[in-house]
Order: sequence, then structure tokens, then C-alpha cells
Amino acid sequence: MFSLKDAVYEVVADAADMVSEFLAFSRLIDDLGLHTFETYVTARERIIIDQSASMMELSTPVVRLWDGIIAVPLVGTLDSARTQLVMEKLLETLVATGADHAVLDITGVPTVDTEVAQHLLKTVSAARLLGAECTLSGIRPQVAQTIVSLGSEFGDIATKATLADALAHALRRAGLKVGPA
Amino acid sequence: MERVPILKLGSTLFVSIQIDLQDDSVIQLQEDLAEQLVATRANGVIIDITAVEIVDSFIGRMLTMIGSISRLFDAETVLVGMRPAVAITLTELGLSLRGVRTAPNAEKGLALLNGSS
Repeated sequence: MFSLKDAVYEVVADAADMVSEFLAFSRLIDDLGLHTFETYVTARERIIIDQSASMMELSTPVVRLWDGIIAVPLVGTLDSARTQLVMEKLLETLVATGADHAVLDITGVPTVDTEVAQHLLKTVSAARLLGAECTLSGIRPQVAQTIVSLGSEFGDIATKATLADALAHALRRAGLKVGPA
Repeated sequence: MERVPILKLGSTLFVSIQIDLQDDSVIQLQEDLAEQLVATRANGVIIDITAVEIVDSFIGRMLTMIGSISRLFDAETVLVGMRPAVAITLTELGLSLRGVRTAPNAEKGLALLNGSS
């Protein structure tokens, strides 16, 4: 679009009385260019916002493992916005299903720092207020090392190595037993 | 000031809070409950807060105090039906309501009391 300016300039270059018209024309072309760019940028931003929102939605599923037992498999980095969302969804599901046991699975969480540990603690104590017991599972060896060396402790929260162990624990607490058929 | 009624169900006192809690109504509830605990010799208290949408730090602390007072009369307190938003607020306020047990609904709260006694 801007190359139109060059073409027009070549035509009007030798006509000295056309200068003011050419300036006005040039300004119009500039405005058009600016408008195009702005439209492009807003469209792009909207796509980015939509995508991050849907990613947030996708990344926090709450699944029902058994009657009264739900699990939240967490994948990816945990920041405060996400933990807030996870907490809200978990609590809502607890209320909606009347579940009394929740398993937070952090197998897919690459790093756990003091902040993330704090967030997890908050989620667990909020779930406790609703009368549900929380188990933390899927702590990786490196993550366990980090947690210990950071000095953050999970207090009296039950932690299990794998989701299977956590489910077994929850079933035991619910008075259920799984055995060979 | 609105008063919160206290119902006696067997050996359990049932308190269902249906109003927007004000500071003075919580204090009144605490007094009434203490009197009722002595009068009925109940061994359990269920506080239903399904209808409560806002809990501030004072009310959170009073709920813990009600739990401690009930324990003095050898009665256990179970808080039932807390809303997610309320739970989040209490956690953010740093109140974990120690000494008060919690249950998802009144039915499970009653089961909890009967199971433990």
C-alpha cells in the first residue's frame, strides 16, 4: 500500500503546484496503513486471549474416580491465577457431587517452589473447610528433593507416591476394599 | 437484630443460619448455644451455613470459639454446607477453623457425630 506513494510521487514530482495535494494524499495513505496495523494487532490479541482462556479451561479438569472420590490431575506450571481456578473448580465439584475425598495429582507439575507449595496448602485447607479430605499424589523425586531443601512442608496432609496409592488410600478411608473378582 | 434458632434433634443441637450474619447476632448465637448446651446436655452441635454467603474474619473467629465453647460442654461441633467462595475467603484470611469439624452436608455431619460418639 505504501508503494502507491512512490508511484504517485514519481508522477507529481515535477509538478511543483501539487505539493499540498500530495501531502494530504500521503497523510491519507499513512492513516490507512495505521488502521490496517491496528486491526491486525487487535485481532491477534483477541486470538491470544481466547487461546490462553481455553488453555486454562483445558488444563484444569476435575475427574470423578469413584463415588465420593474426585481427582484433579494438574499438568503444567502452577501460578497463582491457575491455582485460584483449580481451587474454585475443585471446591465447586466437591459441593456439587458431595464428594468427601479429593486427590490432587501433581505428576505433571515440573517444578514446585515455595509459592506453589503454599498454593497447594491453601487448596487443601479450603477443601477441608468443606468437609473433604485431600491427598496429594504424584510427587516426583526431584520435586520431593526441592520441597525438602526449600523447607516447605505439607504438614498433616497425606501424601502418596502415585495416584493409584492415593486412590487406594481414599477407598480405604471410605471403607471400601478392592480385591480380585 | 435477628436471632438464629437452635433446634434440638435427639442429642444434637442443630443450628441453621439463614440470615446475613451480623456481629451481634453471632455473639447472641454463641450465648444462646452455650445456654442450650447446658439445658439439653447435648453432645453434638451441627451448624449449617449453606445459606451464608459472606463470612468475615470476626465471624470466622466466632465459629472457632463456638467450637471451643462446645468442647467445654463435651459436645463436638460440625460445620456443614460451606460454600466454595466462603471456604476460599476463610483460607485467604488464614483461618483454618481448628477445633471445628466440617462436613459437606447436614446428613454427613450427623453421621460424623454419631460415628464419633
